[in-house]
Amino acid sequence: MTMMSFSFLPDPMDLLLVSLLLSAFGALASLLAKGNDGVATWVAGLPGALAGLAGLAAGLPALTSPASVFETAGPYPFAHFILRLDPLSALLVAVISLLALVSWIYSLAYVREYRGRGVPAMGFFMNLFVASMILVVVADNAFWFLVFFEMMSLTSYFVVIFDQDEEAVRAGFLYFLVAHAGSVLIMAAFFIMANYAGSYDFADFRTATLPAPLASLVFLLGFLGFGAKAGMIPLHIWLPRAHPAAPSHASALMSGVMIKIGVFGIVKVAIDLLGASPNALWWGLLVLAFGAVSSVLGVVYALAEHDIKKLLAYHSVENIGIILLGVGVGMIGMATGNPALAVLGLMAGFYHLINHAVFKGLLFLGAGSVIFRMHTKDMEKMGGLGRTMPWTALSFLIGAMAISAIPPLNGFVSEWYTYQSLFLAALGGTPFVKFATPIAAMMLALTGALAVMCFVKAYGVIFAGPSRHPDPSHGAPEEAPRPMLIGMGILAAACIVLGIAAPVVAPVVGTIASRTLGAAPVAFADGALLIPAGEGQAVLSTPLIAVLLIGMAVLPVVIKAMLSGGNTLARRKGEAPWAAGYLPDVHMSATAGSFAQPIRMFFGPLYDVRRSLASVWTGLEVRFERFVTFARRTEPLWDRHIVDPVTEGVDKAGRRLQPIQGGDFRVYCLYIVAALVVLLALTVR
Amino acid sequence: MPDLSHIILAVCQALLLLAVAPLVSGYSRVLRAKMHTRRGPGLLQDYRDLVKLMGRQDMHPPASGMVFRVMPVVMMATLLVISTGTPILTRFSPIQAAGDLITTIYLFALARFFFSLSGIDSGSSFAGIGASRELTLGVLVEPVMMLALIMAALLAGSTDLGTIGTAIAAGHVHSLTATVVAAVAFAFAVYIELGKLPYDMAEAEQELQEGPLTEYSGPSLALVKWSLSLKQVLVVGWFAGVFLPFGSSTDLSVTGILLGLVVFALKIAVAFLVVGVIENSVSRARFRFTPQHSWIGVGVASLAFVFYLVGL
Repeated sequence: MTMMSFSFLPDPMDLLLVSLLLSAFGALASLLAKGNDGVATWVAGLPGALAGLAGLAAGLPALTSPASVFETAGPYPFAHFILRLDPLSALLVAVISLLALVSWIYSLAYVREYRGRGVPAMGFFMNLFVASMILVVVADNAFWFLVFFEMMSLTSYFVVIFDQDEEAVRAGFLYFLVAHAGSVLIMAAFFIMANYAGSYDFADFRTATLPAPLASLVFLLGFLGFGAKAGMIPLHIWLPRAHPAAPSHASALMSGVMIKIGVFGIVKVAIDLLGASPNALWWGLLVLAFGAVSSVLGVVYALAEHDIKKLLAYHSVENIGIILLGVGVGMIGMATGNPALAVLGLMAGFYHLINHAVFKGLLFLGAGSVIFRMHTKDMEKMGGLGRTMPWTALSFLIGAMAISAIPPLNGFVSEWYTYQSLFLAALGGTPFVKFATPIAAMMLALTGALAVMCFVKAYGVIFAGPSRHPDPSHGAPEEAPRPMLIGMGILAAACIVLGIAAPVVAPVVGTIASRTLGAAPVAFADGALLIPAGEGQAVLSTPLIAVLLIGMAVLPVVIKAMLSGGNTLARRKGEAPWAAGYLPDVHMSATAGSFAQPIRMFFGPLYDVRRSLASVWTGLEVRFERFVTFARRTEPLWDRHIVDPVTEGVDKAGRRLQPIQGGDFRVYCLYIVAALVVLLALTVR
Repeated sequence: MPDLSHIILAVCQALLLLAVAPLVSGYSRVLRAKMHTRRGPGLLQDYRDLVKLMGRQDMHPPASGMVFRVMPVVMMATLLVISTGTPILTRFSPIQAAGDLITTIYLFALARFFFSLSGIDSGSSFAGIGASRELTLGVLVEPVMMLALIMAALLAGSTDLGTIGTAIAAGHVHSLTATVVAAVAFAFAVYIELGKLPYDMAEAEQELQEGPLTEYSGPSLALVKWSLSLKQVLVVGWFAGVFLPFGSSTDLSVTGILLGLVVFALKIAVAFLVVGVIENSVSRARFRFTPQHSWIGVGVASLAFVFYLVGL
């Protein structure tokens, strides 16, 4: 297996620290540039982009090298400040840095939309947000992990409420609530582990052996806590509200990478930290079940959306589900003592984690470009944008095909590995696994078909067909500015490369999986062939499929050219589409609502589930509000009974003493003389 | 990686399917005329139609864009790629790296993606509805296909279409009942994929003016029509390659492949005879009731699953 060589670069850990310092510098510089939005954009964006580059340079070589550690004393004896760059955290560092780099490039033009609405603050919070995400994944001490986790939630909260309208504030509040409920569960999990490990260092957590029931409890706490961050159903409710409220380049970061930290946390707790404790089969099955349900429901809800960013946010729920399918199989493999299966499952999950970050980032940036020009998130008011925004349209199309798992793009490769891991699990294994995994595969197929429908709708309604803008005099929008196109272009290229170059990428991802599990490496590629677990099970070659597709496309072109005899009349713009003799109207063409209508009809019961889930959350919100009102009402009681009497007493005493202080200095002299006499009398006696 | 002889076989197989596709759709038209007791067009009518369309003007609506123009090429290219990976003349996939069951299903999704997108891109309301229906059918059918094929794959121990076919031909399956039931479920799904009555939803001629095809004309229309008949031959070949592989060649010998060709021609003739009888004796199902039909498919596939689990 040939590995990429990065020996010309400095030590990854140094680069990581450089990246963090650059982010901190960008945050401060952005604040200092207060009052000048143009300058703030650049002094936040450039250091941010450089931090992204440094992070990539730190993460990529660390993917396959041994773990490196950075350690200094913390403020408290239990809080050793330890950063650890192992393959798992390097994977996250690389993904976060790539997305940060692209988002910062994109932001150079995009934040023009937010001029005069606090651009310096946005630069500050975004830089801190990126830095805190990197710190969370490399922190190797529970105390610091929680501190950075909290910092990540807080900074992203300020980005969510950036618009300051009622919807954003409400979304932000819900996000705040769920994020903290999650961190409480995570905290509990870590406290239990610390109790057994005798310290808060993850290094001690890894070697601690918990009794089986307690290990299960820690797993459950961690799974639910991090699951809320990842946005899996039914803990997803904040996600489709919070992500669309943020500015688009922040949505790309939140949906692309922040929710991955939830998945990272689940892997960290279940596989990395609890590795020495007995793990039960039902953990993996639970993750598998949550993954399958999240993937199907996520995409079903996405289909019904008109709001482009909400649609994308629901797709994040779906893709988290797909990642969890892989992780679940990995855990099943671990529990059943089948390391090859564990590596395959985890590798599929990691591969999809990378891919989802890339294409979801791309799609959010594409949506941002459209919103930048159209000033609306409602797809029903778009249409036909592909004619004047061809590059945005092309990038969005690549992203749409990648997320729909269309071969030979990257989404397909990771889903193929996910299927193969499910298949391998079904082949051998306990009856329960045999029962669960084919059903999960079927649900993944359903998800895939629904995703195709959803993205045909999204691309079609935004970029294809006639313009549906309610104001006909609204001119066709211009192409997005260059920095935004560059940002999207990088991610679109990544979608293609991660798909076609899969025979090179898959072994690297496989190494990360096997190193995380501490298992023997598994071969994932043989030349240009991708193999899941031996060539007998299946083979795939995305480069070959790409070549075949291009080669076969020559045939219809040649047939057309030959048979039509070079018809010079060919290619003519015709009349408006035929509408059964009626005058064609823009409103006759497919809309976001009409296109998904059959699915809304056929999958009606699933939408009812959402309604009842939403009512649970609304109930929680109402109860929380009642609690706040109660607190507000009880708060004066303290004043009335404790604070008020004291202040009143002091006040009264003061007023009584007022006559003494008459303002006549002769009286004051008399006081001094009297005092002297008293003191003399006391000392003489 | 495949060697040269496999690549030659793959290309020949793809070209062969492309060449006979209009013949097969002509055969369907002849059958329909017979059942209507009218004379109808000859067996080669579809070739004449294609040639005639090729000479016509290629028009596209003013609202259409890039996708509308590239779709005919993308669709045909995709179907040709699937043809290179499906075991049709031989027991094994000519190009194994494209002949995995998951790859095949998702390559069909590529064709479906562009086919439906072109419907929206044309701006026509009929095409838009057709596109929506095409994708809805995909949603209803793909899970059935996946479950049925995975059952067969589990029985054979591999997701490679050729390996599954080989195992079934050799009788190396752990459960005969499960295989047969999975075959029935897959046949049902394939029938819906054919786009024939009663499931002629997306291109519904009388109802939607041929759905996504509405706005195509001239050479582009010819390519799409050709691709649709290629798809019909291909899905039947796919079914035969997996569940009825008997008679196909087990090696690369010329005689074996020629024999495989003859057997394949017979299979196609019988399959489309059955399809023709069904298609001409039913009316179109109402679109809003199709889920009830596809649930039958899910039910049958689940039955295969139960048989597999029990090990019957």
